[in-house]
Amino acid sequence: MYLVADIDVDICAQTSCKLCTQFCPEANTILYNDQAGKEKGYKYGAAYVAVDRCKGCAQCVWVCDNMAKHHAIKMIMIDQLPNAAITDNVVYGEKSTTAVLTSPVVG
Amino acid sequence: MSLDYVKFSPGFEKFMPKEYRDMVEHGPFGKKTTVSQMGSFKEILEEHPMCAGCAMTLFIRLAMISFPNPEDTITVGTAGCGRLSISQAAIPFVYGNYGDQNGVASGLSRGLRLRFGDKPKDVVVMAGDGGMADIGFSCTLHSWFRKEKFTTIMLDNEVYGNTGGQESGMTNKGAVLKMAPLGKKFEKMDMVSMAKSAGCAYVATVVPNNPRRVEAVIKKAVLIAREIGPTYIQAYTSCNIEYAIPTDKVMEDAKNVEGDRYQFSEYVTDEAKQFLAERYGYKEFLPKPAPAVTKA
Ligand SMILES: Cc1ncc(C[n+]2csc(CCOP(=O)(O)OP(=O)(O)O)c2C)c(N)n1
Ligand code: SF4
Ligand code: SF4
Ligand code: SF4
Repeated sequence: MYLVADIDVDICAQTSCKLCTQFCPEANTILYNDQAGKEKGYKYGAAYVAVDRCKGCAQCVWVCDNMAKHHAIKMIMIDQLPNAAITDNVVYGEKSTTAVLTSPVVG
Repeated sequence: MSLDYVKFSPGFEKFMPKEYRDMVEHGPFGKKTTVSQMGSFKEILEEHPMCAGCAMTLFIRLAMISFPNPEDTITVGTAGCGRLSISQAAIPFVYGNYGDQNGVASGLSRGLRLRFGDKPKDVVVMAGDGGMADIGFSCTLHSWFRKEKFTTIMLDNEVYGNTGGQESGMTNKGAVLKMAPLGKKFEKMDMVSMAKSAGCAYVATVVPNNPRRVEAVIKKAVLIAREIGPTYIQAYTSCNIEYAIPTDKVMEDAKNVEGDRYQFSEYVTDEAKQFLAERYGYKEFLPKPAPAVTKA
């Protein structure tokens, strides 16, 4: 098992500040879903991680904690993820990307 | 080298892997993408084997997003960590012998000018500090002396990262590395001053913890190289393996180093300023209006 980044939609969706993706070293890994959190009344959508591309460096955690000061990202074991987005399920829309969330990718 | 090469050949669409289709349909080709849109379009950089948390990887990712016309860009590189990802992008990459990148890029950029005339085709060299300031030193300097019109970007991790930690000319004095256990005895080479005196029209130092600034610097350097002369960017892209930086502290290190010995600097010749202002509407370089005459 290995660690990957997991973003708490409830915290992220309050601002969806988009800082973390600008600092993730991996391309096409932290993406945004315009619809996330809409059902709870959040307007901006939220970030999510395509976990098959995440190398577990935790730079996004540092950025969200120290630059954005939102504390929305945690590193968790990949088999403990409640939902996981993988690249195959990422759909690019007109304005933003949408992940179809699946159950944990690795059992 | 045009938008055509990122289209599907008729009849092949359905055989293309998803990521290729995403790249054609939702990539940056033919559009103006910026770092502020990151996370909402398909980037041209693909998965690659560089280390987790490597700042050089982040810089290369930002650079690929910042190219003004990715569909008209060719990258040139050499042995070293950077080529492991630069080669995994949806733009052509030319890989020569270790250190000859600025020689290869000279021929390439001249050839493209002969072939395409005034239509801009951008050549961007990205190579490590060892490949550029040590082994490729003469190729680098001579391309600048000859005023070859392309962009040179040094991925300065201050070490030979790919071969396990030897000191380079760009390593700081006193640094102790795995394969330089006695500590480096000489000062870091001042490539920025050399670039200026060799005739570069634009020279900048930058650190990847400021993505918008990286974007601005790369755009200016690439545009100026189209017509005015050679441009040089020196980017601090720490090696977290050889300098034992915990991966979640890489950006903190970049911030500290930027505040200390790798401050942002930018040198633009007057000719380059005028070119950016007149051709590409850079307001910051427009001539200042003459002060209003006030009656005594
Ligand atoms: C002619 C030649 N000599 C030596 C090598 C071995 N070699 C491969 S990468 C490398 C070091 C790269 O260091 P640098 O250019 O600083 O890039 P980094 O890996 O640090 O990004 C060396 C010496 C080679 N490939 N070719
Ligand atoms: S930095 Fe934090 S709050 Fe901002 S988009 Fe990323 S996860 Fe959300
Ligand atoms: S842990 Fe590293 S690779 Fe994974 S999403 Fe965060 S910054 Fe990107
Ligand atoms: S060895 Fe250093 S420079 Fe090379 S990929 Fe790993 S962290 Fe980056």
